[in-house]
Amino acid sequence: MNKAKEKNNVPKIKGRSYWADSLRQLRKHKLAMYSLGIIVVYILVVMFIYLANWTKIDVPFLDWNQQVGKEYERPNKQNILGTDFLGRSVLRKTIYGARVSLTVAFWASIISMSIGVPLGAAAGYFRGFIDDIVVWLYTTLSSIPYILLILAFALVLRGKTLSLHWLGLGTISLSGISTVYLAIGLTSWVGICRLIRGEVMKHKERDYILAAQSYGCGSSRIIFRHLIPNVFHLIIISFSLQFVGFIQAEVILSFLGLGEKNSPSWGAMIDAARLDLPKGYWWEMTAATAAIFIISLALNIFGDALRDSLDPKLKVQ
Amino acid sequence: MNGRVTLKIFFFFLLLIIIIFLVLLFGKKLNSPAKADPNDTVLYSTHGAKVRGLDPGDIGDVTSSIIASQMIECLYQYHYLKRPYQIIPCLAENMPTVSEDGLVYTIKIKKGVLFTDDKCFKDDKGRELKAGDFVFAWKRIADIKYISKNWWIFDNKITGLDEFRQYSKTCKTSADVDYNTPVEGLQTPDDWTLVIKLRRPWPQIVYMLAHLPTAPMAKEAVDYYRKDIINHPVGTGPYKLNRWHKGSYIEMVKNPTFRDEFYPSEGEANDATNGILADAGKKLPLTNRLVTVLIQEDPPQWFLFLQGKIDVSGIPKDNFSEAIDLRRQLTPEMRARNIKLLTFRDPSTYWFGFNMEDEVLGKNLPLRMALSCAVDRDKYVELFTNNRSEAAYGFIPPLMSCYNANIKNISQTSYNVQKARKLVKEAEQIYGSKLPRLVLSMPGTDIVFRQQGDFLKRCFSDAGLDVEMDYMDWPTFQNKIKTKSAQIFALGWVGDIPDAENFLQLFYSKNVSPGSNNFNYSNPEFDQIYEKAYVMSDGAERDALYKKAEEVVVKDCPAIFLTHGVAFILTHDWAMNIKPNAFAYGTSKYRRVDEAKKAAYKELLRKLK
Repeated sequence: MNKAKEKNNVPKIKGRSYWADSLRQLRKHKLAMYSLGIIVVYILVVMFIYLANWTKIDVPFLDWNQQVGKEYERPNKQNILGTDFLGRSVLRKTIYGARVSLTVAFWASIISMSIGVPLGAAAGYFRGFIDDIVVWLYTTLSSIPYILLILAFALVLRGKTLSLHWLGLGTISLSGISTVYLAIGLTSWVGICRLIRGEVMKHKERDYILAAQSYGCGSSRIIFRHLIPNVFHLIIISFSLQFVGFIQAEVILSFLGLGEKNSPSWGAMIDAARLDLPKGYWWEMTAATAAIFIISLALNIFGDALRDSLDPKLKVQ
Repeated sequence: MNGRVTLKIFFFFLLLIIIIFLVLLFGKKLNSPAKADPNDTVLYSTHGAKVRGLDPGDIGDVTSSIIASQMIECLYQYHYLKRPYQIIPCLAENMPTVSEDGLVYTIKIKKGVLFTDDKCFKDDKGRELKAGDFVFAWKRIADIKYISKNWWIFDNKITGLDEFRQYSKTCKTSADVDYNTPVEGLQTPDDWTLVIKLRRPWPQIVYMLAHLPTAPMAKEAVDYYRKDIINHPVGTGPYKLNRWHKGSYIEMVKNPTFRDEFYPSEGEANDATNGILADAGKKLPLTNRLVTVLIQEDPPQWFLFLQGKIDVSGIPKDNFSEAIDLRRQLTPEMRARNIKLLTFRDPSTYWFGFNMEDEVLGKNLPLRMALSCAVDRDKYVELFTNNRSEAAYGFIPPLMSCYNANIKNISQTSYNVQKARKLVKEAEQIYGSKLPRLVLSMPGTDIVFRQQGDFLKRCFSDAGLDVEMDYMDWPTFQNKIKTKSAQIFALGWVGDIPDAENFLQLFYSKNVSPGSNNFNYSNPEFDQIYEKAYVMSDGAERDALYKKAEEVVVKDCPAIFLTHGVAFILTHDWAMNIKPNAFAYGTSKYRRVDEAKKAAYKELLRKLK
């Protein structure tokens, strides 16, 4: 009885999981939290635009094509960021432009992760012939200058259709935005693939993998249930840091005339403003670059903080 | 041993440092041109596009034509000063003698005209031009092995030349093609007489004989240089090639053996008051050297002009407001630099063409008219051309003698949104339901095209029309047009000759895609008028037929006729005798530099700074 009482009196030490600990550390990083706030605002804006388009709600503020003033009006009280060559609000275009940039960055990240992570894991786990093939593939791809590769992909994919009948999704016409994220996604998986391969090679020698193997677990189970969860922090960090690069890649593609054509994007805005700058119309360029700057900065700060909190090697003991 | 190596390395670097020091000290002097000869006058110009080659038989682009035309001449040329544009003899002794049926042209060639001295000739001395050189040049264009892009000029025109082309197809290699094979329509009774026999009357031939691809070629040059002939122009012109650094600059110098040609003494009424006749009677060329700098970007070209390093310049779109004010006059800054403005009409028309074989558009005149009435041409001109164009309602440009000033009223397609909306309702009745989305193909993907697309979309949607823009690269666009798969397309035409037939043939039913009739327009009434006018000589009667043909077309509305071009040119006050010409390229021989005024500009620049 006494023994039992003693047992109950022992103060319980509540364990903290790796993720909970990381989140706690992240929450302490105030700048990262502000950055997260900014990212969330951008995402909410984009989701609202999609919702408004889907439900066909008439939101005047999202009608970017509407003429709101004279051509090339300087920033004023009515039009805070001025107007473009057709008298359209630059502010509305900038807000609407977030839709293209973030959608492209999101889907490109998803595509590049879903190619890079399994390939890297398979190469690192199986080694041998599979490793040779994967390494050869990503070495070849990475030897081609990145922008040229994206351009080539974007040009090849433009105007084509992608048949997804086998997934029950029908046919997707590749034009504008879908071409951009496919081109970026298909060309940007090398970095994450290389990272995951190295990490998996390291983990493969650890005891928990040997234990799983001795219990008779299959290769796919070991990869997806044991290895990938243990390197997941790398995927998250890589996702947040690549995101910025993809927003910039969209800007470059739109600038080169290969991006979204029928609605504004930040890249298209910069391209248009390029012609207007010599005439002294600086506001469209300023608005688009400021929008990119803010989200890039927020993502970078947040990505850095995420790495600090998730990477076990960087954790302060 | 090691010590020796170290010493060697030390001396090597010492030598290197001394060389670098000397280059830095005297390099500027070494690189600068020899001290300027006061009698050496130079005209400086610039071009944005590359010079693709200087072989007249295969020349197709404007920049190469302009360069080559200073060195290579044709049988005829345009009078430098007279307007409307007039053809005068150049290598020909006089205008051709034409048989009564209009089928045989006899042309006498000037005696004593020499090809420029070149190492392809015996003793490096240029020989005399003969009628056979024209026959050789034209057979060369017909030769399928040569693959000239200028065969369209002679296609189905000269008796026997098409047969020569067929014969060249049967030859295994280009060396097997025998240029001595007679062509019935190209004969040379003597060395200074050229007789051309035509398959059917072709009055426009005179303009074509002033077109660079029809220039004579010396067989010696073709045999000597072979494929490299594109880099070695051998002509009879006022200048000859001195230096050509690809992609950088071209320098041409006065041809010492150039025949006697003199500055014209007659021109338009105000030429004398403008000082353009001051050099009347002087031997051409008036300038010793021509230097053409090749720069692809607009800003450096513009800065070179402002610095006085280029004599004549166009105005880049971005610098337009810097040069021209709202009254279409020079800005005070430009006037302070003693810069002059010249404007002239281009022989060009731009449009959004309709594919008349398209099921929706072809059978629906109100729809085509609605589309045409929906486009605010004046706003388009203001937004996209710096007001450098005129609104168009027909296809014949205003500089042509047969231009119809009343075409706007005849076409009934001026900008009118209310009218467009009414027409859309009519169009819907014809179509039987709400009109489907239409697609306008744009021949480019860059931001200028996208801005135009945004503007047009707004114009069309104001009129209740749903038009989607499809941006594509030039080859895809061309392919779409040639395969008749474009519904509406943005295109235009720049006239090669001052004869409006050049525009009329774009609507002739036998020229439908892949021919030049991209509209796939077919109207028997138009065809009848065209066939009648085609064989007629220049004159009031033919002009009337051209006007009538244009009326037939605009009433059928196969396109939204958009703009006619107007060119703006700036010149420094030291560049004399500058009179723009819409068709002639080899005009540098008339131009002169006032060196005193040019020297004064350097002082002026110092003051302005």
